Amino acid sequence: MAPPRAYQCEAVTLKKFPLGEADLLVTLYTRERGKVRALARGARRSNSKLMGHFEPLTQVKLSLAQGRDLDHVVQAQVVSGFALLKGDLGAIAKGLYVAELVDGFGSESNPNQPLYRLVIEALHAIEAAPESDLPLRFFELHLLQVSGLMPELYRCVECRQTLTPGRHRFSPNLGGALCLDCNPTDARLRPLSLRTLKVLRLLHRTPIAELPALSMDAALARELKALLSTTIQYWLDKEIRSNSFLEHVHHVAGTEV
Amino acid sequence: MSSEQIPSAAPSLSRLIQELQKLPGIGPKSAQRLAYYLIRLPDDDAYALADAITAVKQQIVLCAECQNLTDDSPCSICSDSRRDQDVVCVVEDPLDVLALERTRCFRGLYHVLHGVISPLNGIGPEQLKLKELYARLSGKQVQELVIATNATLEGEATAMYIRRQLAGSELKITHLARGLPVGGALEYTDELTLSRAFQGRQEL
Repeated sequence: MAPPRAYQCEAVTLKKFPLGEADLLVTLYTRERGKVRALARGARRSNSKLMGHFEPLTQVKLSLAQGRDLDHVVQAQVVSGFALLKGDLGAIAKGLYVAELVDGFGSESNPNQPLYRLVIEALHAIEAAPESDLPLRFFELHLLQVSGLMPELYRCVECRQTLTPGRHRFSPNLGGALCLDCNPTDARLRPLSLRTLKVLRLLHRTPIAELPALSMDAALARELKALLSTTIQYWLDKEIRSNSFLEHVHHVAGTEV
Repeated sequence: MSSEQIPSAAPSLSRLIQELQKLPGIGPKSAQRLAYYLIRLPDDDAYALADAITAVKQQIVLCAECQNLTDDSPCSICSDSRRDQDVVCVVEDPLDVLALERTRCFRGLYHVLHGVISPLNGIGPEQLKLKELYARLSGKQVQELVIATNATLEGEATAMYIRRQLAGSELKITHLARGLPVGGALEYTDELTLSRAFQGRQEL
């Protein structure tokens, strides 16, 4: 039996693209179906009932109708517009970075509810603490986890021995920490300090809402950020465009990443 | 579709189809339809179109002041001494200048950014006409900067970025009101627009 033509879902808008005279092509990450590209007819007209519902970083409940190439939006209701996030330039930059990564890691017709929950939680956490970079680091690590790419943080990925504190490095392409005794030829090694390893383990086992307000010095924050973004970049295998704006906003604000 | 894929088309026709296909929203089929339509056009009309494209490419320049598209720099708005020289309205695109001019309620000057900060498309502040704006503001006695970027996430981000860059200056910085469109229904309005409309309510 053919699947029903119309379906309901909950989604977060990742990006939108103007199409034709007044339509929008929207990329959504849905709880029920993973990434969906849909057409919102007339959504750019000021008197459209869909106007304003598809700004990036908006959580919506949708009725969609399956089309031959693209699904069509029939109805939309905003669940959360993340108004506070959208009132802060740094938070917008972080939110768009999250959206780009979800667009890159999410796949069409492949629902991943943990990923959907992670996006919503991360956007709420960014909104609650726009100055902190910890929600982004949490998002990056857990994005890897819900995508099946969680880096190994407790044992050496080569010899499987439990890591000795202070005697470890990191290899994005081999999938996690390495002890100092193992030297695989194809490892792209990065330094991994004990402090960074501890923060990574803390981020891994702590729910985002219970993250403590860690005071990280600049060197620790830099190492953590570089390690996670190198790993994300390795798996994504393409340029993360929103990264440069994120860096620029940090630079303008004069804050250390 | 390349000329190799339509062997029956004449080379000049294939070239026209290829050129039309470069236009936004024009696919291979539309390009073919347009090309055959242009062939059937009276000679005068077809040459008038070709002349218009040639003229616009040869004559249109950016106004040295406002960065709007114009035949002569400075443009007619910037060189109009009757306009209020103290107020500059920042817009995303030249089409926004036309839209605001149609309202006849703004008599100041404009500044066209030629885009908006769009991190997902790789467009950052350095690709916009922001340096020209800052130079303009430092050189003249502008009292108020009206930021009229679209009420989209990218438009708001651009407005916030400009405001942050100009923090500390004595310039009055405003942006257009957000709220309900004329003819809009509350029932179908998204929560962000409604909350902004509430914040911006006015005494009757």
